[in-house]
Amino acid sequence: MNFFKPSLLIILASMNLSVFATDDWSDDNWEEDWGTEETPSQWQWSGFLEAGYGSRLQSDSAIGRDKTLSEIRARVELEYQVDNWRFDLEVDGLYDDLLHKSEIQTRVASISFSPLNNMDIKAGRQVLTWGTGDYLFLNDLFAKDWQSYFSGRDDEYLKASSNSIKTSWFADSFSVDLVWTPRFTPDHTLNGDRFSYFSPATGQSSAVHLNPDEPAGSSWSGRLSTNHNSVEYSLYGYMGYWTTPLGIKANGRMTYPELNVWGASLRMPVGNGLFNSEIAWYDSREDRSGDNPQTANSQVRWLAGYEQEIGINLTAAVQYYLEWTQDYDQLKSNSATPDFEQDEYRQLLTMRLTKLTHQQKLTWSLFSFWSWTDKDTYLKPSVSWRINDQWTVATGANLFYGRQKHSFFGQHKDNSNAWLRVRWNY
Amino acid sequence: MKIIRTFSLMIAMAVSSLTAAITAIPAVAEALTDASEIVRKANMAYYYAGSDGRAEARMKIVDAQGRTQLRQFTMLRRDREQGGLQDMMVFFSRPSDIRGTVFRVVRHPGGDDDRWLYLPGLDLVKRISAGDKRTSFVGSDFFYEDVSGRDPQADKHTLMDTTDQFYVLTSIPKDSKSVEFASYQSWINRATLLPEKVEFTNQKGKLYRRMEVLKTDTVQGYPVVLQARISNLDRGTSTLMQMRGIKFDLGMPANIFSERSLRTPPVQWLRKKP
Repeated sequence: MNFFKPSLLIILASMNLSVFATDDWSDDNWEEDWGTEETPSQWQWSGFLEAGYGSRLQSDSAIGRDKTLSEIRARVELEYQVDNWRFDLEVDGLYDDLLHKSEIQTRVASISFSPLNNMDIKAGRQVLTWGTGDYLFLNDLFAKDWQSYFSGRDDEYLKASSNSIKTSWFADSFSVDLVWTPRFTPDHTLNGDRFSYFSPATGQSSAVHLNPDEPAGSSWSGRLSTNHNSVEYSLYGYMGYWTTPLGIKANGRMTYPELNVWGASLRMPVGNGLFNSEIAWYDSREDRSGDNPQTANSQVRWLAGYEQEIGINLTAAVQYYLEWTQDYDQLKSNSATPDFEQDEYRQLLTMRLTKLTHQQKLTWSLFSFWSWTDKDTYLKPSVSWRINDQWTVATGANLFYGRQKHSFFGQHKDNSNAWLRVRWNY
Repeated sequence: MKIIRTFSLMIAMAVSSLTAAITAIPAVAEALTDASEIVRKANMAYYYAGSDGRAEARMKIVDAQGRTQLRQFTMLRRDREQGGLQDMMVFFSRPSDIRGTVFRVVRHPGGDDDRWLYLPGLDLVKRISAGDKRTSFVGSDFFYEDVSGRDPQADKHTLMDTTDQFYVLTSIPKDSKSVEFASYQSWINRATLLPEKVEFTNQKGKLYRRMEVLKTDTVQGYPVVLQARISNLDRGTSTLMQMRGIKFDLGMPANIFSERSLRTPPVQWLRKKP
């Protein structure tokens, strides 16, 4: 969809400013009483304009381009609420200078209602998240956008949206969520457009555009949650497909093999902090014996984390993460490129440090992944300055290090980049 | 020195009219002399009178250079048991970048509160660890603890003076390492039991933080705070909070205080009641 140029985006977004002009929300009348509360409008408008730029910190011979982000984005959010019905619309007008295209991206277009006192339904395009990991997802198989994550877009864009129906049922002591996505929605993985990737076939870094075949089937996600004595317990189930293209079809095209996931999590206060743990069994249904080199093997994934405030406005969090590949001997003996397969026990540690200063207007953040089995590291430093209620400036970097050109993060050494974003909220 | 429960009631009354509700006390009541008695009565009345409440609030945050930021939100509160567990939720409506953000607390007096933050952009329910209660609430001069309440047992309280209008108390933290203040002094109105001023002193003996009530009213027979300001005298920052739409005893069901309401705010209780 090639609708308009950035200048039009700005005009479109600016038009909405008038909506707030008459709102009971301004810097006036603070000397007196606030006045009586008005019945809020059923309509709510807001949004932002944002410019982002990012560049490689070294050249990448595979992709031959330094820019990793160059775009202007205009967000319009609309909410309409009447009785127990709610309509949400979030649309981004995006001019992407990197890929030379303008497009309208519908992030949210959903209807929410409660057919029963103890039941909510949300249908339409929506963003979905659950699970306990921080930047690590075990039982959350909802679509992610790794291109956004690696290019320095706002964290919000790590979660991609999907066209789904979410039904939630609330009993006294537990709740059940069931999400049906009629057409499976995969992650936005690195496809060579913005970032290069390691190609086992050539043994080299590649930027050839990947366009995996998407299965036409649906996916189901379910969660059973309860909270007892401050401890949150959840059970999860998923029936669908691997969300990254970990299979190769007979015709040689990449695809998303069938996958079931069963798991559990808990989250609880321990000492002055929070402990969380999550486990998931990835049942790779098309390769249960693990001897098909064209399809990913089953895995057990496990996570344990702890977060605590260690100083004033300073929070530290660590996570241990394990991916235990099943039938590993079968994988190694059948693989065409056994040297490029990940370790049987891929392990990593993450650490997050977050410091808030200047009335929380400045957020200093460092997130790091370190895998001793892959011998690679991924650092995400960032600083965000919320100048006032309208303007935010953020800058940061995605830094990859590794000894091996095929490892999970190490393959992105030449994708290391720094970015800057300026956002104006309205 | 009596160990009494002063602090949380003062802050609660000052900053959260939701929790500020007492049964009528005659203005000419005989002066109370037992500090623990003052606080016990007031705490029970203020925190747990009325089974629930709602209020709309806005904050004006001013930094040392005079630059302002605004916040607007609606609060819901419900008591699970008299003097015990309490649920609270804060639904942000302004500014636009935090609209839809929801803060949820389950207060455990004498223990660690359970706290969650819902971030709508990611559809993420983030749990917040218990340690950082005395950090800024959404960038304001109010602490999380000022909004959800400080454990009354965390401090030792002493009645210093009784004037015509106020009970004057001094409070000292039992664990001085867990807080940034060395002590605080509070002026509690004898008639309403509302604290009208609280002043915090640091380890060097310097007054650095002040809460002052600027306007009060009576709603459904309960004295409430309509305007309060917290000033950080060290940094030169201050936050003015104003309340309106205060209602008590709405008959809120217990189950609206749940993860469900983070994603689907209970509009029927958030909206203004006729």
